[in-house]
Amino acid sequence: MNRNNFLIFLAAAMFGFTGVAAAQTFTPPGDGKKLFDGLCQDCHGANGVGDEAPALNHTLAADDAALRKIIRDGIPERGMPRVRRMTEPEVEVLAAYVRSLGAGRNVTVAGNADKGHALYQRFDCASCHVVDGAGGTFGPDLSKVGQRRSPAWLRQAVTDPGKLGTKGMQGILQNGFTEYLPVSVVEKNGSEVRGFRVNEDSFTIQLRDAQGKLYSFRKADVTNIDKQAGRSLMPSYKDRLSAGDTDDLVAWLYSLGRAK
Amino acid sequence: MSRRIFAAAAALLTFATCAAVAQVPYNRIVQAGNTPQDWLTYSGNYNSERYSPLTQINRNNVSQLRPAWMYQLKKPGVFETTPIVADGVMYITEPPSTVAALDVKTGRPLWRWTPQIPDNVIVIGSPPVNRGVAILDDTVFAGSIAGHLAALDAKSGVLRWDVAVDDNRKGYYLTLAPLALDGKVVVGVSGAEAGIRGFIAAYDAKTGKQLWRTYTIPGPGEPGRESWGKDSANIGGSSSWLTGSYDPTLNTLYWMTGNPGPDYDGDVRPGDNLYSCSVLALDPNTGKIKWHFQFTPHDVHDWDSNQIPVLFDDTINGRPRKLLAVANRNAFYYVIDRETGEFITGQPYAKQTWATALDAKGRPILKTGNEPTIDGKEVWPNLQGSANWYSPSYSPQTKLFYQFTREMSSIYYKGQAQYTTGLPYTAGGGTAVDGDNAYAAIRALDGTSGKLRWEFKLLEPGMDGVMSTAGGLVFGGTEEGNFFALDAMNGKPLWDMQLGGPIHANPMSFGVDGKQYVAIPAGWTLYVFALP
Repeated sequence: MNRNNFLIFLAAAMFGFTGVAAAQTFTPPGDGKKLFDGLCQDCHGANGVGDEAPALNHTLAADDAALRKIIRDGIPERGMPRVRRMTEPEVEVLAAYVRSLGAGRNVTVAGNADKGHALYQRFDCASCHVVDGAGGTFGPDLSKVGQRRSPAWLRQAVTDPGKLGTKGMQGILQNGFTEYLPVSVVEKNGSEVRGFRVNEDSFTIQLRDAQGKLYSFRKADVTNIDKQAGRSLMPSYKDRLSAGDTDDLVAWLYSLGRAK
Repeated sequence: MSRRIFAAAAALLTFATCAAVAQVPYNRIVQAGNTPQDWLTYSGNYNSERYSPLTQINRNNVSQLRPAWMYQLKKPGVFETTPIVADGVMYITEPPSTVAALDVKTGRPLWRWTPQIPDNVIVIGSPPVNRGVAILDDTVFAGSIAGHLAALDAKSGVLRWDVAVDDNRKGYYLTLAPLALDGKVVVGVSGAEAGIRGFIAAYDAKTGKQLWRTYTIPGPGEPGRESWGKDSANIGGSSSWLTGSYDPTLNTLYWMTGNPGPDYDGDVRPGDNLYSCSVLALDPNTGKIKWHFQFTPHDVHDWDSNQIPVLFDDTINGRPRKLLAVANRNAFYYVIDRETGEFITGQPYAKQTWATALDAKGRPILKTGNEPTIDGKEVWPNLQGSANWYSPSYSPQTKLFYQFTREMSSIYYKGQAQYTTGLPYTAGGGTAVDGDNAYAAIRALDGTSGKLRWEFKLLEPGMDGVMSTAGGLVFGGTEEGNFFALDAMNGKPLWDMQLGGPIHANPMSFGVDGKQYVAIPAGWTLYVFALP
């Protein structure tokens, strides 16, 4: 009798269940994948190749106990929620599946990171982004972006940034709000302010414009607030980069914050 | 005057003061409207209106409202208390289970009492919180997450008695403010996510002796037991974790019940799962169930019916009716005859995707395919519901029912149904579809018909109660930390202030020395406001 069946047997023995609790037994690895597809892949990508959240092809947890703790409790301070409460057998099969993803399946990146770095400089990406402390602060800090995002996600960030609807970089708005959301505010005198949303509550909204100027509005004092979901203040570089250039830039971004 | 004579005189004076200090007898709670400067029950009165008859702060001057004093927690935690105020003293609870008495004029503490909480206390299903105390005569009553009920001397905080309501090792714990009736104090229990069998219990206010206990899941052979299938009832949850309401004329206690367990897997508990997700009308002398009404039969989305049942009277089709109204976590607003339990009307007050309507008896007509699955099924409302424990308000002045309404869905997952004593027994869970995909609103419903009269939109679904006042105001809070006042007639915003921390609590109001105050916890601070 394996541990899972033993626990169910125990519950059945204690409460006289006759096949009621045993209706669902969880055995690795197939059920681990079922759990993963339901609970994890929205953020970590199909088969854990990474998406908005990191790829799971390398071990972020120090050991099995640490991995189970992450699955059980999430990492709230880094934006990973506990998706739902799980029984220990569920944690076990899910951990086993996540471990199977890490078994030597490295995400390969086609491009040349050094060439990508040169492109980053040529397109003056540093006017808006910081890497290792240097650069503009209008956009997100990219110093460790390779740890947090997958190559596929980074590719989309370069070619179609509006589709990302990014959550969890800034940590100010929290609770699932889109970060760097473009917002247009029309004041009562007719003038328009465009910027990204820094913060918001039910009565006020704070924006920063492309010049870095901060605006704070009381909602009752403006004519219109247009939250532009699906758009980004970052231009798309789709038509300015060749396919090879894009690979190179993604390779460089993916290298940031990762062991060389 | 010699020092000794002075001391003797002072002692006499003190003694005389002691004797003169008004206590809070039962009749004073029944007549709570006669002492609007006090706030004598969790919801302000037995009807649970959360309505203050005070008028000094009103729609003409609320724009001048400003902080009068603040009180900070000694230890961070989720601060959900509703203060009780009687005779110049405010009684609050601090998370997880500390009781404090404060001077209402200054916020200076008069005493604090903290029960013993074992390091390995079991709190499954909510944060370790407490929502407040009850007061009766000269005693304050408070539950604890250790599953105990304590009686404290109101003047000193000295412990009079302490009883274990049930065994915390099995997952029982208390978060609610008890309800004090004539000579007794009534509590319910939390723990449905740990496989408890819920109950409501009454204790002798003087001695702590249990007077009755009524299980919210029928025992073997009792009517309703068959609604659980064969073996699931004894660990079926159906907790009772929020304060009920009371009608002294009908001598009936109204108490709401929580979700059946395991929360997300209904296969192991075939049937309606009585009396989960219901309101029970109880005889307070015996605990006998007079009638019940189930809002969500066989719930699989954790839609506890632990909301505040609000009591008011109205005339319907020329006939005077005694009513009970609930804005349920399941997104429907219900009006029930509180003498008979007869369903009168019900309709959605928020987006929902699980039922086409309620039938003539108030039972939901289900849509198919909304059960949780292993890979997730999106359903409105959210796991935390369109409403939750935080309070609505009913204004006898406007006859409107005010409700902080959560507009959000969840992805519901089914998991493994495995019971082990003292461990979570939920068989799944949910993730909120939150952020810019969700919002909240204060909705004003016609109390008797449930029809929407106005709404005021808010950014984020939170856990924020409302209070209406005879000054024509509705006070409310937000997840983002705004505290605000709306015009009770039309929802127009009249005043707001950012308090710097999320509000997970209900406003209340009191008066002292001819001045009206409004109190609300936000973050780790209790804020008290008044006019200049």
